Amino acid sequence: MNEFLKKLAEVLEVPELKESDELKAFPQWDSLAVLSVIAMLDSNYGVNLRAADLGAVTSAADLWNLVQSKKK
Amino acid sequence: MNFTFHRKRISGLFTVVPSNESSFLEEMKNFNFPEARSLKLKEVMGYDKRRMVQPGVCVSDLASFGLQKMFDRGLLAKDDIDALILITQTPDHLMPPTSNIIQGRLGLKQDMLCIDLNQACAGFVLGLMQAFMLLEQDSIRKVVLINADVLSRKASNKDRNIFPLIGDAAAITVIERDPNDSVIHARVKMDGARCEALTIPAGGLRLPSSAETAVLQDVGDNNLRAKDHLYMDGTAIFNFVQTEVPPLIEGLLQQAGRDKDSVDYFLCHQPNRFMLQKLADKMKIPHAKMPNNVVEKFGNSSGATIPIAIITNLKDLVQKGSVRACLAGFGGGLTWAAMLMDLGGLAFCEMIDYP
Repeated sequence: MNEFLKKLAEVLEVPELKESDELKAFPQWDSLAVLSVIAMLDSNYGVNLRAADLGAVTSAADLWNLVQSKKK
Repeated sequence: MNFTFHRKRISGLFTVVPSNESSFLEEMKNFNFPEARSLKLKEVMGYDKRRMVQPGVCVSDLASFGLQKMFDRGLLAKDDIDALILITQTPDHLMPPTSNIIQGRLGLKQDMLCIDLNQACAGFVLGLMQAFMLLEQDSIRKVVLINADVLSRKASNKDRNIFPLIGDAAAITVIERDPNDSVIHARVKMDGARCEALTIPAGGLRLPSSAETAVLQDVGDNNLRAKDHLYMDGTAIFNFVQTEVPPLIEGLLQQAGRDKDSVDYFLCHQPNRFMLQKLADKMKIPHAKMPNNVVEKFGNSSGATIPIAIITNLKDLVQKGSVRACLAGFGGGLTWAAMLMDLGGLAFCEMIDYP
């Protein structure tokens, strides 16, 4: 999870990210960020999400749970 | 689907780009978009300069101009063209075929074949396949393949998702028989069930263009687009490329009995820098072997981007030497196609401005 939060923070260009942080609240959360997150999850976790999947996610922890469920 | 072709080669490449150049950072000022984000997009996506036709310029204008220049310079003789294949999604008219218009304008011989094919970003690979098949006929010795589009005319200039990346171009490729015993492998896949990810909804017969289809609609994030305009579901296309293209290329290499290291260059369609870098990373191919610098110089011109990538990066090498290339195109249809072939000994490999 920590590693995941670190990678997500890198994509969003913020120093750190907490589980409870709401992703869409970041001004950096735009279409490029969505694409970068999809690419990051694909290369690091082998999970291929659609933009619509990300649309349903609110917090960083939600995204982590979604990635875990897709990995199985 | 797998294909194999024998004794065929590309003997020359000639590309036409509009002289009218547009700058991404200048354009973004019209979008009321924070400059910091524009700079970020420029860096990540590679959006910078691109070429767009002036109002009213059509595919046949770019193509005829290029062919005439080739005749004038003695690169190609008029009467040597036995078949003209035009691949475009932006034809001059619904009818007649634009390839016939080009034939008529240039006064080409009647004893020839003109074919229009509707293909998008995989159009270069699909066009080469058609050319190789035609060359099986004794009566056909030289095929001219033209990949040309003026998609900037179908992109909404108020849609940030599409406008900053589109470029216009015509690529003219001459294909002949190879006296050497060369083998070319190709692989193609199609998925019409996902066709709506890249589409121009209006302007055909299903939904003819009208005052209504020209109305700009707010499609989110302050982007405006009409039904007459080109639509692309960017993230869906990104996912499509990341999931489908690596296994396609790996399958092709397997079919040819080659490994990745034996390929000198992976010459892919050029949607943007980001997508190509991610594709290279996923396939564990060094970025230097998969050029991604076409969008930053010319924009994404659909089927013409692979020839432009060759001219931009390998001009001397493909004329004086030879490279083993894996070509890959992917886009509208959806269609994804790859081809493994040697590129070498080209008689010409040039780019000119229109007009």
